[in-house]
Amino acid sequence: MKLVIDESRCKGCNLCVLVCPYGIFREGTELNSRGIVAPVLDRPERCTNCRLQALYGRMLCGVCHMICPDQAISWVEEKPFEPHKVEVEF
Amino acid sequence: MIAPDWFREDRLPHIYCTGCGNGTIINCTLAAVEEMGWKRDETVFVSGIGCSSRAPGYILTDSLHTTHGRALAFATGVKMARPDLHVVVFTGDGDLAAIGGNHFIHACRRNVDMTVICMNNHIYGMTGGQGSPTTPPGAISSTTPYGASEPAFDLAELAVAAGANYVARWTSYHVKELTKAVAAGMQTPGLSFIEARTQCPTNYGRHNKLRSVSAMIEHLRSHAILVAKRDRLVAEGKPIPEGAFTVGELVRRNRPAMGVQR
Repeated sequence: MKLVIDESRCKGCNLCVLVCPYGIFREGTELNSRGIVAPVLDRPERCTNCRLQALYGRMLCGVCHMICPDQAISWVEEKPFEPHKVEVEF
Repeated sequence: MIAPDWFREDRLPHIYCTGCGNGTIINCTLAAVEEMGWKRDETVFVSGIGCSSRAPGYILTDSLHTTHGRALAFATGVKMARPDLHVVVFTGDGDLAAIGGNHFIHACRRNVDMTVICMNNHIYGMTGGQGSPTTPPGAISSTTPYGASEPAFDLAELAVAAGANYVARWTSYHVKELTKAVAAGMQTPGLSFIEARTQCPTNYGRHNKLRSVSAMIEHLRSHAILVAKRDRLVAEGKPIPEGAFTVGELVRRNRPAMGVQR
């Protein structure tokens, strides 16, 4: 699972920054196309729900999802990792 | 976990200001509805007028957006006509305590089987921040520019005295506890009243030195004391801190309820 912020809904209240126990959300610095400073994700793979939701079969933690007044935080399914070729230019 | 199919996705993002707590209360209510396993065509959301009362407009069920303060009167009618429906009422403090105070105490007295969620933001947010009956003493609003001089209504205690079957109070910071309280209220037959104190940074915080959302949430969090702690302080004879309000389950009882399907 992957943590995403829907920037078309976020109004930049930074409540997620306040509540996340892992400090994954950081206050943003740049305006987006709607004129809102949305929070940015700092290494979202640390989120317990991303890692263990499939294993436990239920929502873990999820405080940011519940407190977000704009319903902007959600988890989306991720494709399993596929190895791909990387071309390195010298 | 809130299923996204309860939201009317085409109406989102909603009109609430940045950092408004009403969206959080909608999340908690829908999580509780999801936990109860109610069907979408068996649930009715009723609301009056105000910021809080726009909530059913973002939920994909049948809903009633009624006149100012009369949400409980309409909801009683819905429950009497169709006792098989689950009725949830969203109101604000100006809606429930000021203009609809009479409907509120009589709905509690009759103990109609529904769940009432009051989003108490201490102010009339939609019309420009006028003082409401729940504005704390000393708070500055546009109709109380020198600080509110009247004592405030304690809505949860009022519901206990009027006879509701389940009464709880939480804030929009305590999301997990609020979800549990709403679910417990939905399971209880008879009127269940859940007061949710929310932040209003735009119209309340701006005049009261709580301009940022985090300052307002921190103010709510630090002024909430649990019922057990309040009881302990009273038993020890210690003073209760100034401006503190109790949170937690205030009453759960089995008075005869009206409109329960047999």
